[in-house]
Amino acid sequence: MDVAAELLAGSVAAGARAIRWLDDGDPRGRTVLERIFAATGRAHIVGITGPPGAGKSTLLDALIMEQRRRGRRVGVLAVDPTSPFTGGALLGDRLRMGRHALDAGVFIRSLATRGEAGGLSRATYDACAVLDAMGFEVVFVETIGVGQEEIDVVALAHSTVIVLVPGLGDEVQAIKAGLMEAGDVLVLNKSDREGAEQTHRHLEMLLHLRQDPSQWQVPLLTSIATRAEGAAALCDALEAHRAWLDQTGGFTRQSERRAEQQFQRLVRALALPRLLEGAEDLLTLVRTRALDPYSATERLLQRQLPRR
Amino acid sequence: MAAASARPLRVLLAKLGMDTHTVGITVVAHALRDAGMEVIFTGLKQTPEAVASAAIQEDVDVVGVSSLSAGHTRNLPKLARLLREQGAGEKLLVAGGVIPPEDLPLLQSAGFARIFTMGTDTREIVAYLRDWWAARAANDTPS
Amino acid sequence: MSRPVNRVPPSAEAAPSADAAQEARRWERETRAPYIVSHPERRAPFQTQALRWPIKPLYTPADLEAEGFDYQRDLGFPGEYPYTRGTQPNGHRSSLWTMSQVTGFGRGEDWARRARYMLGQGLQGLILEHDLPTTNGYDSDNPLVEGEVGRAGLAIDSLEDVERALDLPFEKLRYLMSVCNAPQPINLAMIIAALEKKGVDPRRFVLHIVNGILIEYTCVGRYIFPPAHGLRIATDCIEYIIREHPNWAPISIISAQLQPAKANPVQELAFSMAIALAYIDATLARGLTIDTVAPYFHFVVNVDMDFFEGICKLRAYRKLWARLMKERYGAQRPEALRIRMMTSPTTIALTLQQPLNNIGRLAIMATACALGGAGEAMTTPLHDEAHALPAEEAIRVGAALQHIVAHETGVADTIDPLAGSYYVETLTKQIESAAHAELDKILAMGGALRAIETGYFQRALGHEQYERNKDIEEGRRKWVGVNHLVLPGEQRQIEIFRADNRTEEEQVARVRALRARRDAAAVSAALEAVRAAARAGTNLVPPCLAAVKVYATHGELCDALREVFGVHTPDSQLTGV
Repeated sequence: MDVAAELLAGSVAAGARAIRWLDDGDPRGRTVLERIFAATGRAHIVGITGPPGAGKSTLLDALIMEQRRRGRRVGVLAVDPTSPFTGGALLGDRLRMGRHALDAGVFIRSLATRGEAGGLSRATYDACAVLDAMGFEVVFVETIGVGQEEIDVVALAHSTVIVLVPGLGDEVQAIKAGLMEAGDVLVLNKSDREGAEQTHRHLEMLLHLRQDPSQWQVPLLTSIATRAEGAAALCDALEAHRAWLDQTGGFTRQSERRAEQQFQRLVRALALPRLLEGAEDLLTLVRTRALDPYSATERLLQRQLPRR
Repeated sequence: MAAASARPLRVLLAKLGMDTHTVGITVVAHALRDAGMEVIFTGLKQTPEAVASAAIQEDVDVVGVSSLSAGHTRNLPKLARLLREQGAGEKLLVAGGVIPPEDLPLLQSAGFARIFTMGTDTREIVAYLRDWWAARAANDTPS
Repeated sequence: MSRPVNRVPPSAEAAPSADAAQEARRWERETRAPYIVSHPERRAPFQTQALRWPIKPLYTPADLEAEGFDYQRDLGFPGEYPYTRGTQPNGHRSSLWTMSQVTGFGRGEDWARRARYMLGQGLQGLILEHDLPTTNGYDSDNPLVEGEVGRAGLAIDSLEDVERALDLPFEKLRYLMSVCNAPQPINLAMIIAALEKKGVDPRRFVLHIVNGILIEYTCVGRYIFPPAHGLRIATDCIEYIIREHPNWAPISIISAQLQPAKANPVQELAFSMAIALAYIDATLARGLTIDTVAPYFHFVVNVDMDFFEGICKLRAYRKLWARLMKERYGAQRPEALRIRMMTSPTTIALTLQQPLNNIGRLAIMATACALGGAGEAMTTPLHDEAHALPAEEAIRVGAALQHIVAHETGVADTIDPLAGSYYVETLTKQIESAAHAELDKILAMGGALRAIETGYFQRALGHEQYERNKDIEEGRRKWVGVNHLVLPGEQRQIEIFRADNRTEEEQVARVRALRARRDAAAVSAALEAVRAAARAGTNLVPPCLAAVKVYATHGELCDALREVFGVHTPDSQLTGV
C-alpha cells in the first residue's frame, strides 16, 4: 500500500496507518508527511475543549450531524490522557459518536497523550495534517481543557470552542485558567439545568469586559447537546469565525503559526534526546557537583552545536 | 516522552449483541491499560459493521470482542470477514465471553486466534497479547 | 439440689469501657501476641471480602463503646422503629418468608403453557421476563436484534403477544411480576389492555412492575433514553399505578443487581437508597405524600459469601430506610418506615468449577439471609444457574435448602439471634455510618440522577470490579475451585440456551403481518398523541394504553419516544480512568 498516495485519494485505511506511524514515531510516517505536507492547510481546525462532564463528546456528536447535513466531510481527533504510571490509556470518546461509524464522510480517531505534558499529543498536529490532506473540510480536536491543556489546543486550532456547564463554578475555573481569553466561541451546554441563567449572565458579563471591538466578537451560545439543540447555531458561529479569519488573513496566520508551533515542538522533542546522547560524562560532573548545570549545558551545546 | 521504539499496543474492545453485562470487559480494559496498552472501547450493542469500521479508523493491532448472548456464531465470523474484506485481516482477532467449546472450531476457522472464556485470568490475556506482538514486531515488514 | 447459677457481680459491669478496653489490650499483649510469634497468622491482612475492611482478631464490649452503640437507639425491638431487629413484631415465628425460585424462561405460548402448569401445581406467583430486543425497545424484525428474539425472555412486539402470554387461569394467579424497565409504560399499557380484554378484575391480583431504570443506567445497561427522561418515564408509571391501581406494586429497587457489578455493601446501600430517593422525590413532586408513596417501595437484596457482611448489610438496610423516611421526609405511618425486602443468595458466588460445591455455598448464604432477616421472601438461585437453565434436580435442591434452613437449624425460631454480638453490632454500625456518609455525598452532588449522568456510580463500580478481580488473580481471596483446591483438568461444559431460529422467524412474520392488517391511520394518530404527551410532560401511560389498543408495536412506541427524548449514549461504560 502506497500510504501517501492512497490517503491523498481519501483511503481511510491509509490515513489511519499514516496517523499510526506518526503517532508511533515510525520513520515511515515522516516519509508520508513529507509527501503530503503541501496538500495541507485547507481544513478548518476546530478545537473543542472544556472541563470534564461538560458534554463535549455529546455536543461534538451533534456538531458532526449538523456538519454532515451541510455536506461537509468531518474528521475528529479525540485526545485522552495516558496514565503516567502504566503508560496505557482508556480511550472512550468515540462512544458518544457511535452513530457515525458507518458514515464514510466522518473519520474519528482516538489519541492518547503518550506522556506529552498538556492535553495534546505530539501526534495531534500530524494527525490533523493527515486528515487535512485526505480532504476533510473540518477537523475537530477534542481534549479535556482545564488550564494549560486548552492553551495547547489554541495554538493548534483555527477556532477554539470552550464548552462549559452551569452550576459547577466553571466560570470561575474558566477565568482562572485563562479560558476566557482563549476561546473563539463559548458554549454553555446543559442549558436546561438549574443555575443556567445565572451562569449565562455571569459569562456574558465576563465576555463583555474582555471584548476588543477591533477583534473577533466572541459569541456566547447555549446548547442542550443531548437534544442536539444549539448545534446549528454553533456551526453558524464557526462558519462566521472562519469567514472572519479569511477576511483578516487570520486563517493563514494561524496556519503559519501552527506550522511554526509544530516545528518548535518537534525540535524540542527530537533534539533533546539526541543532544543528551553521549552527555553521560557531563551528567556525572553535575551529579557530583563538580560542575554546575549551566556550565554543563554550555559545554554540551558547544560540543554538539558549535556556533560557526 | 515516548521513544520511537516503544509503540504501545492498540486494542479495540467491543461488545456485540444486545447483552449489556460489562463487568468482564471492564476488568479486561483496565488490565490492558495497566499493562501499558491503549484501549479503545466502542461500546455496547455494536454491529459487526460498526466494529470493523472503528478498527480500521483507529488502526488497532488487536480487536477484542465480548459476546455473552448466543449470536456469536453469526456475529463474530461476520466481523472477521468484514475486516478481511476491508484489508484489515492482519489484525489479531480475539473474543471472550460465554462461548461453548463446541463453537471454538467454527470461530477459529473464521479467523479468531484465541477465545478467552469467562473467568480467564487477565494476566493470561495480557501475556498472550504481548507475546503475539513481540513476534509480530520481529517480523514487521514495511508495507 | 441445684444451686442458682452464679450471676456476674454487678460491680464488674459498672464501668465496662475502662475495663474492657484495658483487658482487651492486656490479652493482646500478654496472651495473643506471644502466641502468634510461633503461630503466624494464615492471612495478612484479614479483610472482609467486599469492603476489604480489616477484621480484628477479637471484638469486645470496647468496640461497641467505640462505635457509640446504644441498644435502644441502634436496635430497638422487632416491629418498632428503627426496625434493625426486624420489621415484623414476631420475626419468622408466625410465618416464614415466602420461598420462591427463579422460574426460568419460556417463549410466548410456551411460557403460558408452563405458567398454567405451575399454577395448576399450586404456585401463585409468576415472573414475566422479556427478551433483549424488547427490553432495549426494538421489534423482533429489527435487523439490529437478529438472533436475540425470544432468547432471554418473552418477545413482546404488540398487545397480541401479551394477550397470548396471559392466556392464564387468573382465578389461580395471585401475583405477576413484569421485568421490563426502559419501555415500562408500554409494557404496562399492554398488560392493562390485555387484562381489560380478558375481563380480569385488576383488584383480584397484584401486578408488580420492576420499573427499575436507574439501576439499568448504573450497571445493567438496558436503557434507551437519557437518564432524566428515564426517571420521568418511571415516575409516570409509579404515579399511574398509585392512582389507578393502588393494590399493584409500581417499583422494585433491585439492589441485587448492584452487587454482581461488585458494589460493596456500603455502595449497595448508599446507591440503592439514593436511587430510591430519586424516585420518591419525583413521585412526591406529582402531589402524592410520603405516607402514600413510601409503602410502595420494595427492595431485592442479596448476600455474598462473606457471612457477616451479608448479615450486617441486611440489618443496616432496615435501619437506614427507617431513618431516611422519618428524618428526611417526616413519614408517620409504620408502613412507610418499614422496608419491604426480598433476599437472595447471589449467583456470582457460585463457580463453574466443581458445581456441587455451590449447594454448600447456597446453604450458607441462605442461612445468612435468615440470620440477617430474610424479609418478605427469599429466592434461591440454583446451583447450575450461572451457566445454564435450571435442571429439575437443581430446582428440588434449591427448594429443599430453604426448608432445611427454616426447619432444621433453629435460626428462624428466635428473632434476630445475632444481635448483641460484638462483631455483628460493630460491623452493622460501621456499614450504616459509612453508607450514610456516602449517601450524603451523593445527595450533595445532586442525587442519583446526577451521579448517573456524571458517571460517578459507574466509575465507582468499575474500580471495584477491577480491584476485586485482582484480589482473586493475586490470591488475596481464596475461591475454592477457582484458585484454591483446583481440580486439574476439570472440563466443565457451559450450557447455553440455544436460539430456536423458528421462534424468531415466526415472531418476525407475526409482527409484520400485524402491521399489514391494522388501521394505519389510527396507529399514526395514536403515536402522535404519545409524542405530544412526551413533549408536554403529561403522564405517558394513558396515551400508550390507547396506542397499544390499536396495535401500535412496541418498537414503534419506543421510536416515538426516541424522537422526543433522544437516546442515551454514555461517555464511557468503562470507569476509573
